[in-house]
Amino acid sequence: MIKYMFSKEEDIPGGTASIFFGFSCLMWFIVGTGIGSFNAAKLAFPDFFTHYYALQFGHMRQVHVHTVIFGWIVGAFAASALYIVPALGNTKLWSEKLGVWNCMAWNVGLMLALSTLWFGMTSGREYSDFMWPIDLYIAFCMVTPLFINIFMSILNRRTQGIYTTNWFFAGSFFMLIIVFLVGNAPEFFHLTGLNEAYMTWWFAHNVLGLLITPVAAAITYYIIPKVTGNPLYSHRVGHLHFWSIVVFYSTPAAHHLMSSPLPEWLKSFASVEGVLILVPAVAYVCNILLTMQGRWSMFVENIEIKYTITGVLLAIPLNMQGGFQQTRAINWYVHGTGWIVAHAHLALLGFSTFAEAAAVYYGMQTMLRRKLYSLSLANFHFWMLLIGFSLYWVSMTIAGLIQGAGKIYEVPYLDIVIAEHPYMIVRWLGGTMVFLGNIVWLYNMYMTVKKGEKLEHGVLPHEVAYVR
Amino acid sequence: MSKFLPLLDGLKLSHPLKTMSDDRKVQEAQYIWEHESLGGIAENNNPLPRPVVGLLILTFITAIAWTFPLFGQRPNAAIYADYITLMHSAPVQQVMNDKTLTTSARDEKAMKMIVGALADSDSPYEFQRIQHPISMNDLRIMEPGIIELQNQHADLREYSIIGNDVALANFEGNWKTDANGNFLKGPDGKKVRERLQPWWDKGYMTSVYYFFGFCFLVIITVKRLPPITWKPDHSIAH
Amino acid sequence: MGFREYRIGSIMFGVALATSMVVTVYMPGLDISNTTATATALEKQLTYGKVAGFDYGDPFLHGDDKPIKVILKKDPKTGAAIDETVAYVFKPGTSLPSGLVHDHINGAAIQALSVSLGKTDQVSVEAGGVYLVVKSVKNGVETPYIELASATRGWTIDATLKAADQEILAGAGKVMFIREGCWWCHTLLPEQTHDWQSFGRPPMLGDFNGESPTTFGSDRKAPDLLHVGSRNSSKEWMMMHFFNPRLVQPHSIMPRYDYLWGGVDKKGNNIDLAKWDEEFDAYREGSRVYPPEVPEYADNSEIRYLIDYVLDLK
Repeated sequence: MIKYMFSKEEDIPGGTASIFFGFSCLMWFIVGTGIGSFNAAKLAFPDFFTHYYALQFGHMRQVHVHTVIFGWIVGAFAASALYIVPALGNTKLWSEKLGVWNCMAWNVGLMLALSTLWFGMTSGREYSDFMWPIDLYIAFCMVTPLFINIFMSILNRRTQGIYTTNWFFAGSFFMLIIVFLVGNAPEFFHLTGLNEAYMTWWFAHNVLGLLITPVAAAITYYIIPKVTGNPLYSHRVGHLHFWSIVVFYSTPAAHHLMSSPLPEWLKSFASVEGVLILVPAVAYVCNILLTMQGRWSMFVENIEIKYTITGVLLAIPLNMQGGFQQTRAINWYVHGTGWIVAHAHLALLGFSTFAEAAAVYYGMQTMLRRKLYSLSLANFHFWMLLIGFSLYWVSMTIAGLIQGAGKIYEVPYLDIVIAEHPYMIVRWLGGTMVFLGNIVWLYNMYMTVKKGEKLEHGVLPHEVAYVR
Repeated sequence: MSKFLPLLDGLKLSHPLKTMSDDRKVQEAQYIWEHESLGGIAENNNPLPRPVVGLLILTFITAIAWTFPLFGQRPNAAIYADYITLMHSAPVQQVMNDKTLTTSARDEKAMKMIVGALADSDSPYEFQRIQHPISMNDLRIMEPGIIELQNQHADLREYSIIGNDVALANFEGNWKTDANGNFLKGPDGKKVRERLQPWWDKGYMTSVYYFFGFCFLVIITVKRLPPITWKPDHSIAH
Repeated sequence: MGFREYRIGSIMFGVALATSMVVTVYMPGLDISNTTATATALEKQLTYGKVAGFDYGDPFLHGDDKPIKVILKKDPKTGAAIDETVAYVFKPGTSLPSGLVHDHINGAAIQALSVSLGKTDQVSVEAGGVYLVVKSVKNGVETPYIELASATRGWTIDATLKAADQEILAGAGKVMFIREGCWWCHTLLPEQTHDWQSFGRPPMLGDFNGESPTTFGSDRKAPDLLHVGSRNSSKEWMMMHFFNPRLVQPHSIMPRYDYLWGGVDKKGNNIDLAKWDEEFDAYREGSRVYPPEVPEYADNSEIRYLIDYVLDLK
């Protein structure tokens, strides 16, 4: 990596930045899910690894969240964007060198950010936990170079059009910078009180809504037509999706605070907009699933399609939950319970992780020009991920419903804790399966680099890799 | 203004639901659509399936209906005013002074009597009373606050029960008027708002305007594309 | 906007995003900024100081740069007995909460009273000061305001600390609450609609002015703590519970915070955790009748801050 950081631009082979990002996000995914599994063990068995300041749940929880968000999810976005954007513009990446530097800055920054967070240097605001110098670093040294690279590659494209995926890439990373700077304003300018509380959730909502959901969707907009060979079902439904994401997903931040004393009008507004998130969701899911027409056999036969379509199918319950759990009537029951934890994992570990895993599998093979080392291991990883996730999601949803009932009927809190205990154990088992599956994935990818069969020029990996 | 001119370029409004572009514009679009290769990916020109359009309309109706400012709000003082009247009525007082029962049994029985007496009354607060059940102790705590407000002839609906307090609610409603429809003025000479959630909640209407603005712009965006009857030929670019 | 017309698309994108930000950031910002602080908000500002999270004054979150809340039963200046009064001591150099630095945080009426009666125009970081929250009653309307007692009553910092019955380090404690991640499981927000019966009064609109961060919490894996000090005011119980929650609540899943003792007890003796655990295991298995004694914490230990904070949540 150091070698390429100081090479001339023309000496760096295409795809280098993407490969670096691909492997670093994989590492972070293992670290993140490992910490997640450790945390879950602590919730199930509270005396597990006790006495240690650094290994206490309250120090580890946010490290898990930010490792998976910035290390894995956004890292995987960078890996995918850096190969998809040039491919869709029939061009090269604007600057591979910037991409390599970006990857270096990303990993160094993340290590710094996570270790300071781990040792308690936090702003005390959920999802914007990093102290503000780190926030500035993320905005200007991690996200901005990535946005510049993506945006300049789109400007320098050799097609007249910009494909839907690239609308989302350009728009979302731009919005991410804005969201980062506006959302952390309470720390930069010392805003206090309810403004601070509201801006915390404005940030948390928009980081998900304007970055993770749309970019994961953008990836599937690429993988599905590319691998199946079908044209995207509809350009105009893509328009509906894109514009309704910008318009509806950016507004309902206050629905995270339905039971707080925010102005009532704000809560009403957020709640209506929250249901309207179903507009982009319905448009998107239809567009992708209708693109699959005539190629559904690939859902079984092809590993990338298997991952992507699983992700898209998980987006259906995700958006149904998301649309309705924030209305006053349902929020009353589920707010602050494990249901929400399950929902958050459905979004990040369900929908978006599956989409990104597909993009990383596909992108790494394309960029390395090597066929995947083992399809069986990839399938094993898929099932570990899916079963592990399902165990987690189902157990946490049940635990959430128990907590909700306990809350409404004013059951003494300790009885709720006792009732939840079996589900905490299942949650830990599920999380551990995901973690172990990821180790298998890393091995598979490493062996692909070492021993994967070389692809001939002009051949796409899925055309040779999975012929039975 | 010139920056916006392309928006009007080739605009045709004779068949707004079919296409809003004139023939030249449509031909241009069709040419680009068929002749470019987006990294080996192509796009079709399909409309949303009818059932999905229905689903989206249903979504909007649901959004409006489900989030109507009805559910999950703090109980207001008015819903318990009748409880307090009944608490002072002779039969309930008789139960509450019944020394043969334990204190908690007395309270429970009295509260059951109150709830039972109100069950058949045709009250607008029936729903909210079911949502916010209380115990006799809660009622005792809120009693002085509510009675004081009644003595001041305050509108009890404007007060929320918050823990042990009876506090002015956090709403901005309609301007207050007297019987003749003239606006009431506060001590500072400004018009005063009711502290009730009006049927047009501010956030609620903002959402409606916002939604229609969105529909308007998306319809323009989508209808400037070639009509859905046209299918691009993807063999040209590849 | 036609097919592939990106200039118009970009403008529309900008318009859409800007409209959304106006509705969701600017309009609520105006509304929220116009709220008037309650007495609770003033007390919180003076208890917690400037920021409880990362800040220049306390970059490693050790609980530095925070005011001291004291309970007085006699006048620090004259020594005469007074009604129990809560005063907030800002030692020289302690950063001030935003309500004392900016004019618009607490609302116009409170600000005017604080300046005219409370002399808060004389506040200074360098000199420090002793503050009170006082109520003025006019036409039956109570308005709380902040009074700089060093200026109005001549209470010096030293005299106040000396006269104090009790020092409550809740400001530093809130830092611990944030650093140790208590708020990942314990919310500070009884919900408006239902659970105030068990967890107490939900907060009001003006309860947060000037507080930073608010740490409502979002995931309630444990009881709400906003009014925990009213439900359970036992320092001994808190001490045992923090040292090992399983000591008082056998089924609790809360982590142990024994490391916040800093390794020593009140007398400066080292705490032998291994031995304690052994004895506790023996107690759990039934071979020991009484659980081992929980070591009393030192006055400047982090657990003291945290317990002060938790008990101060009234």
